[in-house]
Amino acid sequence: MSNAPSGWEVVIGLEVHVQLHTRAKVFASSPWGFGKEPNEQVDPVVLGLPGTLPVVNREAVEKSILFGLVVGASVPEHCSWDRKNYFYPDNPKNYQLTQKDFPVVVGGQVEIELPGASRNVMGEHKFIRIHHAHLEEDVGKLSHAGSGSLVDYNRAGVPLLEIVTEPDLRSSAEAEAFLRSLVAMLTQAGVADCDMEKGQLRCDCNVSIRRRGAEKLGTRTETKNLNSISSVRDTVIYETARQIRELEAGRSITQETRGWNAELARGYVLRDKEDAHDYRYFPDPDIPTLKISRETVTRLAQQVPENLYDRQRRYVEKLGLPYTAASVLVHDRALAEWFEQAAAAHPTNPSGIANLVANDLLRDLAASAGAAGGFDESTPAPVSLASCPIKPAQLAGLVKLTDDGVISKQQAKEVFAEMFKTGQDAAAIVDAKGLRQNSDTGELEKIVQEVIADPAVAKSIAEYRAGNEKAINALKGPIMKRTQGKANPGLIDQLLRKALG
Amino acid sequence: MADALHTLSAAELGRRLAAGTLTSRALCEALLARYQAVNDKVGAFTHLDQADVLAQADASDARRKAGQGRGPLEGIPVAIKDNIAVKGQPLTCSSKMLAPLVSPYDSHVAERLRAAGAILYGRLNMDEFAMGSSTENSALRKTFNPWDLARIPGGSSGGSAAALAAGLVPLSLGSDTGGSIRQPASHCGVVGLKPTYGLISRFGLVAFASSLDQIGPMARCVEDCGLLLNALASADARDMTCFGPSDRALTPAGDAKQLRIGIPKGFLGKGVAPEVAAAVNAAVEFYRAQGCAVSEVELPSADLAVPTYYVVATAEASSNLGRYDGVRYGHRSVVAGTPVEMMTASRSEGFGPEVKRRILLGTFVLSAGYADAYYVRALRARAKIRAEYLAALAGVDVLLTPTVPTPAFKVGEKASDPLQLYLEDIFTIPANLAGLPAISVPCGKSGHLPVGFHLVGAPLSEAKLLAAGRLFEAAHGFAHQQAAL
Amino acid sequence: MAEGFDIDHLAKLARLSLTAEEKALYSAQLNQILGHFQALADADLPATIDDARVVDEAALRSDEPGPVLGAEAVTRIAPASHDGQISVPRVVDDES
Repeated sequence: MSNAPSGWEVVIGLEVHVQLHTRAKVFASSPWGFGKEPNEQVDPVVLGLPGTLPVVNREAVEKSILFGLVVGASVPEHCSWDRKNYFYPDNPKNYQLTQKDFPVVVGGQVEIELPGASRNVMGEHKFIRIHHAHLEEDVGKLSHAGSGSLVDYNRAGVPLLEIVTEPDLRSSAEAEAFLRSLVAMLTQAGVADCDMEKGQLRCDCNVSIRRRGAEKLGTRTETKNLNSISSVRDTVIYETARQIRELEAGRSITQETRGWNAELARGYVLRDKEDAHDYRYFPDPDIPTLKISRETVTRLAQQVPENLYDRQRRYVEKLGLPYTAASVLVHDRALAEWFEQAAAAHPTNPSGIANLVANDLLRDLAASAGAAGGFDESTPAPVSLASCPIKPAQLAGLVKLTDDGVISKQQAKEVFAEMFKTGQDAAAIVDAKGLRQNSDTGELEKIVQEVIADPAVAKSIAEYRAGNEKAINALKGPIMKRTQGKANPGLIDQLLRKALG
Repeated sequence: MADALHTLSAAELGRRLAAGTLTSRALCEALLARYQAVNDKVGAFTHLDQADVLAQADASDARRKAGQGRGPLEGIPVAIKDNIAVKGQPLTCSSKMLAPLVSPYDSHVAERLRAAGAILYGRLNMDEFAMGSSTENSALRKTFNPWDLARIPGGSSGGSAAALAAGLVPLSLGSDTGGSIRQPASHCGVVGLKPTYGLISRFGLVAFASSLDQIGPMARCVEDCGLLLNALASADARDMTCFGPSDRALTPAGDAKQLRIGIPKGFLGKGVAPEVAAAVNAAVEFYRAQGCAVSEVELPSADLAVPTYYVVATAEASSNLGRYDGVRYGHRSVVAGTPVEMMTASRSEGFGPEVKRRILLGTFVLSAGYADAYYVRALRARAKIRAEYLAALAGVDVLLTPTVPTPAFKVGEKASDPLQLYLEDIFTIPANLAGLPAISVPCGKSGHLPVGFHLVGAPLSEAKLLAAGRLFEAAHGFAHQQAAL
Repeated sequence: MAEGFDIDHLAKLARLSLTAEEKALYSAQLNQILGHFQALADADLPATIDDARVVDEAALRSDEPGPVLGAEAVTRIAPASHDGQISVPRVVDDES
C-alpha cells in the first residue's frame, strides 16, 4: 500500500528516540521521571558543573543490549561513546554524549503487520531492518515565555536509545505498522514504557522520492521531533506529496531539516544553521571503551519474551483462534499471558476463552480504569490486569460451564458481569441465581408438546410448516416462559423442529 | 618556636601535633600571620577565608582531644589550586568566566582530605583554566617567584609552588596536564609529583584536557609529597578513568641505590641552559656514585611530543570549555539579543587570550576535513610515544632529564611568544601523553634561581620515584629551602 | 597560512567574537604554531590507536537514584532564573 502515485516510490527511514526504563539517568545518578517541578532532577553532573564526569548506568546498557536481543541484532564485544559538540541552551555541556563509531547494537530487524483487507483479515507481514541502535543522553527542555525562553534540565541526561532503521519503509502505513510493532516489542520486553504523551518516544522521519525501479535514492529531507504515531503517518503523506509536486514541476529537492506543525497539518523548514553539521565528533576521553561480556548477553537473552507475531501465529495456527482476537491479545503481553493461563485451565475451547478475554474482559477493565493515558488515540491503552477482579481459572470455569451446556451463551454474559463485580466463581453465581439451564430432554419434550397443542400458536406452526423459518421463534417465547427462561435454547430449537417435522 | 613553624615539614608538624606540643590552631594562626605579611608580595593565594580556616583548626584540635585524630594529616593545612572543587569555596580557575562561581560540591580529593582531618586552606592562583606555564595568564592577580619577585613562578600551578616556597603552607595540591605541577615546582625549588594517569580521581578537577589532566601533591620535601599522595590516591566510582581497587597496586620502592637510570639520548642538547645542564648532570653523577646503573635510552619520537600534546590537549580543551556559556553558572554578559549572541559575548568577555587561542586551535584540529590530518594523527603519534616510553622503562626504572630547559624567566619576557613557551614543555609533556608518573626534585641553582631534575617511571611506580627522590634529597640541602621574603 | 585555517569560521564554531586585532594576532600566532606541527604530518605512525584502557561492566554504575542539587540551588548559581527555570534570551529557531 503506497502513498505515491504509480511511477513514483517513496523511501522512508526512521530514527526513533526511546527513553529507556531506568530509575537514574544514563551518565549521572540523578533520578528522572515525569511530572516533577523544574530543575528538581538535576545534580552537578547533569548541570555540567566544572569538574564533573560521566559514569555509565549499567541498567541503561543492559536495556539497550536487551533491545538488541529482542530484534535479533548482534551485540558487539566492545562499545564506546563519542562527543557530539554543538552549542544550545538545552545542552548542559554543549556536547552530547552519544555513540557514533561503536554503538551497543548493530543490525537486527522488526517484523511488521500491515492492515488487512478488512478488520478480520490479517494483512501482509514484512521485515524492516535495523541499521543500529545507540545509547545517548537526552537534553533539557526549552519553553518560551514572553520575550525570553526558559530551560528545565530535568530531562537532560535521561537515557535515550536511538534506533535507526534502514530505508526499508515504503508507505505511511508501513511507518505506522513499524512504530506499533516497535512499541509493542519495547514495552513487552520491559525496555521502555513508550508513553508518547510524556515524550518518551520521539521520531525523526527521513523521506525521499525516486522513480519506481530506480536504484539510487533521491535527496531526502528529515522531519524531526515527531511525538505521535499519527504525526509520523501524516508527515510521510505530506512530505511524499510535497516532494512529488516539486519533482513533477521540474524542481529538485533540497536536503533540509524540517519540523511538523500538527495543528496546521503542515511541514516547515527549520532555520538552517550553517555550522549545524560540524559536530567535531571525537571519542569521549572520560568514558573508557566498554567490554560487554558474553555472560551478560546470555543472561539478558533469558529475558527476551516471545515475539508478538510469533505468538500470534501460534494462537491462530495451533490454538485456532480467530485473527481478531489473537491480534488484540498479542499486543499486550500481560493480557496474552493471562489468556494462556485461562486456556491452560480449560484447553478444549481456546477460542471461546480468547473471545471473552479480548472483548468482554478488556472492555470492562478499560471502563473500570477510566481513560488510561498512553499511546496514540488509535492504539488500545495497556490495561492493568493486576487489579482484575476475575482470575484466569475462573474465566476458564465460566467457559466450561457454557461448553457443557449448563448455561447458555446469553446467560454467560450475565454471569460474567456478576463475576467482574464480585470476583466470585461462575458456578457459585449460577447456583445463587438459579441459572442452570434446563437441559432435561424429557421434561422439555413434554413442555414442547404442551405449547404446540396450544391453539394460540397454531397460526405460527402453519406458517413454519409452509416454509417461514422465522415463525418458529414465536413458539420459543411461551416455552421459555414455562421454564422461567432456563430452557436450553439450542435444545428447544432441536426439539421443536423434531416435533413439528 | 612559633616563628619557625612555617619552615617545618608536614611530617614534623604532624609529629608535634600528635605529641600535643602544637595545636592546629596555633599552627594556622602562625601561617595566617605569615600570609598577612607575605601574600601581597608573592600573590600565591586568590582567596583565603581565615575564619573558616580557624574553625577547621578548632574542629581538628577537638577531634584530637577526643582521641579521634584521623592520621598523619590531621590538623595540617593543605592549600588547593583554584581548579579543584571544594564545597562552599570559589572555583574560579583564575578566570573571569568563573569568577562568580562558588562550588556546590566537593571534589574527591577534597573529601579525602577532610576524611584525613586536613585543613582545606584557601584557593591558589593559576594560569586561567590551567592553560599556561607562568601563571601570567591568571585573570585574577599576579603571582611571583619567591626566589625573585621579578620572575614568574612557573605554571599553571604557580600559586601552589610559590605558596610552598614562601612558607605560606606546608602542603599544596596542583594539577598537571603537560607539566603544570612539575615545572613550577622546579622554578620554585620545591617537590611536585604527577601521578600515574588514573591513580587520583579527577572528579572535581575542572577539566582542561581529560586524557592528560591529573591532580598531584606538592611539598617542600619528598617525604611530605608521599604523605599527601597516600591521602589522595583512592578508587572513586565517579571517575571512570580512575583505577578501581583491584587495579591500583603500587610497585614497591625497592632499594633506591639499585635503581637503573635511563638518560634519553639527545635531551640535554635541547636548548638546555648550561647551569641547568650542570645541576642535572651533577644529580646523575650522584646516583651513579650511589651504585645506580646509568645508561642511555633511545626515544626516537621525542620531537613529536610537543605537537602531539598541543593537538590532543587543545582538542579536548575546546570541547571541555564549551560548557562555559553564561547560561547555567559563571559570567553572563549583559549583551542581549539571541542566545547565540549572549553565549558568544559571555565567552569572549570571560576568557583570556591564551584560552581563546587554545580553543581556536582545538576547534580547528577537530573540525570537518582536518580532524584526520591533525587529531587522529596525534592519537596515533601518542600511541607511538607511549609505546617507546614503556619499552624504555622495561630496561630501566626511571628516565632522568631536566624538568625545564631554562630557569624562571622574567615576568612579561615571553608573553608575546606562545610557541616559545610551548616548546619549553619538552621534558614534562611525554609523561602526560604516556600516562606515566613523574616527579620534579630540586637539584641546585642557576645563580639564585632553583633548578629541578625530572624522573619518569613506569605506571604505578610512584614509590620508586619517591625513594629515588628521598635518596637524593637526604644527601643534599634542598629540602625545605625557602626564599627569604 | 596553514591550509584551511579560517579564523572567522572557527570563532563562530567556538562561539567567540574577536576584534580585528585579535584576529590578526591569533591568526599569526596559531599559524606559527601549526607550522611547528609539520613533524606530526611527516611522521611515520602506526595504523592503530592503542586504547590503553578498556573497562568491564564492574566500572558501570548501578541504577540507584542519587542526591540532587534541588531547584533552589540550581537557580541560585544561575545568572538568571524565573520560577525554578533558568532564563535565557528568546530562542528563535523552532527546534526544541
